[in-house]
Amino acid sequence: MNLVRMLAALPLALGIGLGLAGPAAGQTAEVKVGLIAPMSGPWARQGDLKLKGATLAIDRINAEGGIKALGGAKMRVIVFDAGDSVEKAKNAAQRMVAQEPDLVGAAGAWLSSFTLGVTEVTERAELPILTLSYADQITARGFKYVFQTSPVGGTQAKQALPALVKLAESATGRKPESVAIIMDNTAAPVSFVKPMREGGIAALGLKLVMDETFTPPLADCTSLIQKVRSSRPDLLLLLPTAIPDDKLCLEKLHEFGLGRGRVPVISNGAHIAAPDMLKNLGKDLLEGVMTIVANWSIKGQDAIVKEYTQKTGELWPTQETMSVAGAMLIFKEALEKAGSADRRKVAAAIRAMDTTAGPAKYFPGGRVKFDESGRRVGADVVVVQWQNGVPVTVYPTESAVAKPIWPKR
Amino acid sequence: VPGAAYWVTVDFFQALVAGLLVGGTYGLMCVGLGLIFGVMRVINFAHGDFMMLGMYAAYYLVTGLGVLVFLGPYAAPVVGAVLAGPIVFVIGWLVHRYLVSSVTGARVVTAEAEGHYAQIILTLGVALVLANGGLILFGSMPISVQTPLSRESWEIGPVFLNQARTVGFVLAVGFAIALYLLLTRSRLGKALRAAADNPIAAAYVGVDVDRAHSLAFGLGVGITAVAGGLLAMSQSFQPYIGIEFVIVMYAGVVLGGMGSILGAFWGGLTIGLVQQMSTLVLPHQLQNTAIFVVFLLIIFFRPRGMFGRVWERT
Repeated sequence: MNLVRMLAALPLALGIGLGLAGPAAGQTAEVKVGLIAPMSGPWARQGDLKLKGATLAIDRINAEGGIKALGGAKMRVIVFDAGDSVEKAKNAAQRMVAQEPDLVGAAGAWLSSFTLGVTEVTERAELPILTLSYADQITARGFKYVFQTSPVGGTQAKQALPALVKLAESATGRKPESVAIIMDNTAAPVSFVKPMREGGIAALGLKLVMDETFTPPLADCTSLIQKVRSSRPDLLLLLPTAIPDDKLCLEKLHEFGLGRGRVPVISNGAHIAAPDMLKNLGKDLLEGVMTIVANWSIKGQDAIVKEYTQKTGELWPTQETMSVAGAMLIFKEALEKAGSADRRKVAAAIRAMDTTAGPAKYFPGGRVKFDESGRRVGADVVVVQWQNGVPVTVYPTESAVAKPIWPKR
Repeated sequence: VPGAAYWVTVDFFQALVAGLLVGGTYGLMCVGLGLIFGVMRVINFAHGDFMMLGMYAAYYLVTGLGVLVFLGPYAAPVVGAVLAGPIVFVIGWLVHRYLVSSVTGARVVTAEAEGHYAQIILTLGVALVLANGGLILFGSMPISVQTPLSRESWEIGPVFLNQARTVGFVLAVGFAIALYLLLTRSRLGKALRAAADNPIAAAYVGVDVDRAHSLAFGLGVGITAVAGGLLAMSQSFQPYIGIEFVIVMYAGVVLGGMGSILGAFWGGLTIGLVQQMSTLVLPHQLQNTAIFVVFLLIIFFRPRGMFGRVWERT
């Protein structure tokens, strides 16, 4: 046999070898969980953060002996790229259920519109999927295998503004009187602002002095911030969904002498509190900026945060990291309870779950229990504020790691 | 407290200034594409991705590798943007020499649609490779060249002139004029125009047509890379940013008039002005719609664009 043939035969021989060394029939050597998220295209960074969260949790689970109810089976995450469109995300979901029939569950798909498409596929395959996406519709279709760990968009909008007015009053002793809105016209800010426009702002005694919607991406923020300059609101709801637009607006506020608290800025979503912002803007321009998110590192998570930053080199975990890490722990808990790697039994275990330990530590509110529609009971908004170069949880009080600093005008 | 009339006036001048400054950078991007598409008549769908390379080149010179840190936070980003030009020129020259040259110049004179179909497919492929290669190489995190220039301004009364945009505007005008002079006054410029006008006749009089096309391609993407480097001071970017600008660039070149370098600059400038000033009367959501309404109006009344010439191969 010549050298080339020998080399060609090597993988085959290795394959056979590995096959012989595999588990005996009936034993589960590993359980596979899917992660479907954008790993390419403009949202690839969010997919990367989700993968880091999943890896963090799975490494912990495996280091602690894997799934004990399945004889110490190791957990493994299998990544599917949702790409940059709903169509690609749905195709990825179809590949996921076809190529990996032994998945016990999945997490994904970051963007609400992706999740809506992906869950159409996973529901038919009876594959339980945990999502941090916000859209109300995700769990309003009567699906049985979809579990939403975040407070839905409608709830966030109803909870957020009163919470912020309360924060402002407690910090300054003065109730804000006027509010301005700058938002892009994507799904998340539109659903976030809808209840506010439909009486939410007026009910709190606030006057809407500016309401501008733009189509992303922005080329320049001058005309928008010029309107803030002329209307001088007590609060600015700054609701773009992408870091480039955040940067343009915050730099322009600073340039026009309205930054660093002269007009308090409140955003929605984790993008404005991502480490990327610090690299793009520096800590001075971010000081005091608040954002409303579904999850963040909260009180009592110091060890997790330390492990994550040391392992990944990231500056801190984000909403994506914490939620997906929590999702992996929910699957672990469900597998232990179900004692089986059957996805239907795992789904039933998730439905029956009611815990304030284990995975619950990864979610604000500290409880994992899902209602009949699949929404997490007690899921509350989290307000995060940039303080000295780090975004820290300042609301709700029981989860807060720092007191809010209301910017001085 | 200033009244409503005061703010209306300030809003107008602020939008005018923003339009001019944003338009200046658009103008320089369009000048780069104007050389390749307008003058040499080569379709380059990867142009936005070469601009992205220029942004990353500036970033790595200033922030990533810190080569220019010694120049300080004000000069380094500007020098970085200018140096992005030669770096991307070399990349563009190589891409043309080994890939695009097979569908441009003398080889495609007799080909269907002068090789434009092949150019579209090839440069789309190059665009995909650059964007996805960029994702592998540079990562997905949005980054920018941090400088105080982007958050500080010069003030004329109540009107603010963003320093990064103003410096970018001045450099953009300078580069556009320099390229115009190069094309109209130098021997090299004549050779480039001859190679584009009639590749066979140009070859007969001793012009190396393939070399001229490679040079024009390199110069075109290099100039757009400078625009990208200047933009990188104000804007965060990731490897997929090219696609956001390529349509604006083509609109600018066509608006200004095919074959005219200064026309391409005016085209880009007009787009910036329309984009920013439309917000005075229209909702912000319609900024980009306004651009294409004005584009269609100008093309309707002046089909050759603002400075276009009747273009026919001799």
